[in-house]
Amino acid sequence: MNRPPLWMRVKIRGEDSNFGLWLPLFLLIPLALVVLIILSPLILIAIIVLLPSRWGKPAVMIIPIAWWLFCSMRGLKVDVQSPKECVYITVV
Amino acid sequence: MTENQKKILEMLSKGKISVDDAHRLLNVIDSEEGGQESTSKAESEAKTKPKFLRVTVLPDPDKENTGDVDRVNVRVPMSLIRAGIRLTSLIPPEAMEKVNGALKDKGINFDVRSIKAEDIEELIEALGELEVDVVSAKGEKVKVFVE
Repeated sequence: MNRPPLWMRVKIRGEDSNFGLWLPLFLLIPLALVVLIILSPLILIAIIVLLPSRWGKPAVMIIPIAWWLFCSMRGLKVDVQSPKECVYITVV
Repeated sequence: MTENQKKILEMLSKGKISVDDAHRLLNVIDSEEGGQESTSKAESEAKTKPKFLRVTVLPDPDKENTGDVDRVNVRVPMSLIRAGIRLTSLIPPEAMEKVNGALKDKGINFDVRSIKAEDIEELIEALGELEVDVVSAKGEKVKVFVE
């Protein structure tokens, strides 16, 4: 599995607005972990309730797959430029 | 025949080594050269293993200086594509049946449930040879490739 990404850069330039952001993803990981620990009893109950139904497997797998998806984002780059607008997203 | 094999046969013909020694030496050389071949093959496979899917749209070089051009440069990690395809495992069977029904309505007789992890790997490996190169009427160059 890939290492999780550390930074996400978002830059959006419009006709009358400019927006740029360096998002420190490495700071969001511990935050997400804390939220996950706090919500873990509720998540556990939800999994137990959903387990007999067809939604059981997705409920169990959602967290590991979300983490895998997050780690896979490293290296993603979207750069779309038009004369008046520009969208630039990169994950490093 | 390699140089080493020739030398061994020459030594055998001159009587410097016995037939058994020559046989043993030839076997050693064969195994070493086979190992080198397999290592270089593995290296070349690792090199060709695609890491990113790239989509680029470049403007016509004549119009590039006018400033009125669009550019697209997208780089998607293959692992993200892999993870995205794996997300299909989260789709509950009810939804899968609906997807299959919708595909059938469009004339595509394909069972989404039949997609397996091995098929995904094979598909992604096959993407390594993908290359799309289109030049539009406006002179824009669209390229889809893997690197």
